[in-house]
Amino acid sequence: MTWLIWRQHRTEVCVLGLLVGLFGIALLVLGTQAHDLFPGGPARCAGEAGANEACTSSFRRLDDEYGFVENLLAAFYLVPVVIGAFLGAPLLARELEDGTWQLAWTQAVPRMRWLAAKLAALAGVTVALTGMFTAVLTWFRQPFDAWEGRFQYDAFDLEGLVPLAYALFAFGVATAAGAFLRRSLPAFGVAFGAFLAVRMSVALLARPAYATPLTTTQPVPAGGSKDQAGPVPSFADWTIERGYADAAGRRLSSTEYYELEAAADRAGTNLNQFLHARGVQQFGVYHPADRFWTFQFIETALFVVVAAVLIGVVVWRVRRRMI
Amino acid sequence: MTAIEFALRTDGVGKRYRKGWALRDCTLALPAGGVIALVGPNGAGKTTLLRLVVGLLAPSTGTVEVLGHDVTASTPQTLSRIGFLAQDHPLYKRFTVADLLRFGRACNLRFDQGLAERRLAKLGIPLDRKAGTLSGGQQAQVALALALAKRPDLLVLDEPVASLDPLARHEFLQVLMGAVAEGGVTVLFSSHVVHELERVCDHLIVLNQGRVTLTGDIDTLLTEHRLLVGPRTATELDRADAVVEAVHSDRHTTLLVRDGAIPAAPGWQAQPVSLEDLVLAYLRRPSEQGAAVTPEVTA
Repeated sequence: MTWLIWRQHRTEVCVLGLLVGLFGIALLVLGTQAHDLFPGGPARCAGEAGANEACTSSFRRLDDEYGFVENLLAAFYLVPVVIGAFLGAPLLARELEDGTWQLAWTQAVPRMRWLAAKLAALAGVTVALTGMFTAVLTWFRQPFDAWEGRFQYDAFDLEGLVPLAYALFAFGVATAAGAFLRRSLPAFGVAFGAFLAVRMSVALLARPAYATPLTTTQPVPAGGSKDQAGPVPSFADWTIERGYADAAGRRLSSTEYYELEAAADRAGTNLNQFLHARGVQQFGVYHPADRFWTFQFIETALFVVVAAVLIGVVVWRVRRRMI
Repeated sequence: MTAIEFALRTDGVGKRYRKGWALRDCTLALPAGGVIALVGPNGAGKTTLLRLVVGLLAPSTGTVEVLGHDVTASTPQTLSRIGFLAQDHPLYKRFTVADLLRFGRACNLRFDQGLAERRLAKLGIPLDRKAGTLSGGQQAQVALALALAKRPDLLVLDEPVASLDPLARHEFLQVLMGAVAEGGVTVLFSSHVVHELERVCDHLIVLNQGRVTLTGDIDTLLTEHRLLVGPRTATELDRADAVVEAVHSDRHTTLLVRDGAIPAAPGWQAQPVSLEDLVLAYLRRPSEQGAAVTPEVTA
């Protein structure tokens, strides 16, 4: 079976391996240069932007020279779906569209053994390739994480464990879609669409609710401009919501805030002074940075469970000979 | 071991898809050895029946027993005793012929690679060519060589020659019959072409609209059935259970009867019937008469 699986899927594995290798090497080269901007290692500068002069200049150079790369990293959200769906879609669909399932399942290897070997091998390749890429990317982002924290969407979704779970989820969707649609390309399309929809709704709607967020409230400082938001929540926390509340702690709608702003303009006073005088407070709703791994584990579990259910449906269909 | 080794036994087998029943009440008992033809029009359920036989499908009702084993269990032992050639002889098109042989060796308990290589060499099919670049006839031959290299006890072929040109068809059947002559293998194949069957087959199953309408040893079937030609009449139809088909012309009535050898009534002439006419008569019967199936009890 090992030889057969390799012979059937070597094209996909080689193409994906090549892509992961090329992007990985590019990231390693750029990442080494970016790391060199931090003589003591990027971790020592975590949260030191604006506080430590050496770190501040390092961060400025990082932004100038490698900021563009960080923006490009957004494209790597798709790495798990490309790997998972590319390997999962043809697993059953190609056999079904070419009629070769009738050849494969009438040899002396029972279909359940055939399916188990294929699923294990291709899911294994999916995890291995995504894992290698994620390891490089997580390392590459260390300077950026020291600057901006790793709880924002552009870090959390690319680092740690979750990309592996995303890839397994894409693999599961693509395999199941292939079993139902019996065609590789539509199965790949369905997996791609489902991946984007599920990933986005989980990240935007479910993830903030993995734990009860904390809230900080502090009075608007009398001095300074309105952009000076203060250090809490800190750079590494994940801020979900920010805004103003009145002296009693009631949150102000944006209309109410703009009315205050207009009133300050009419009165000709500094906005912050105006707000301070009325006892207006700033609040921040956030998840503290130390919840990073808890959230990673929760989201990983979520996607792995969904992937397992999808694979279960495939196994059930093949077992019941519904294909 | 039973006294009679059956290659295939089905009992009340039915298969329902979402759209409806593809096969109903299929009860067959086919002895080992020889060549069995499964005949029926397109959409009669032939492919469904063959897929049930090789365990690719599970029956909705009834049981399928191949070589004395329940085929739905799909053990490696049972699977290795059955060879299957699906319609349009699917192969991994990007595999070379040598890759396909390696696939056969990797996935089977007993795979006679030497046999397959000899067969392919005799046909002049190079091992280093990709399967997708071979002609249709050569692909069919490669698929057949793969199936035969399993040294199966039952070889099942679904419309094996339907997509081949006459020359390739002839070569294919020659190889197939050569393998049968070497002995030990029971062949079950489907076809919607009726002529030439008499030359090749020992046993016949006629399938129409998902039901078995006729099954039996071909020689026995031909002795049991006769054409009776007489003056145009309707009285003979009283014995409707024996009359398979009645055709009336201006002056004559021709009856196809299954009555053993009861002497014909005065004024009627008895004639033997050809296999093709026999099959066509059963295919033309409305399906509600399909109940007139005689279970096969050939020893």
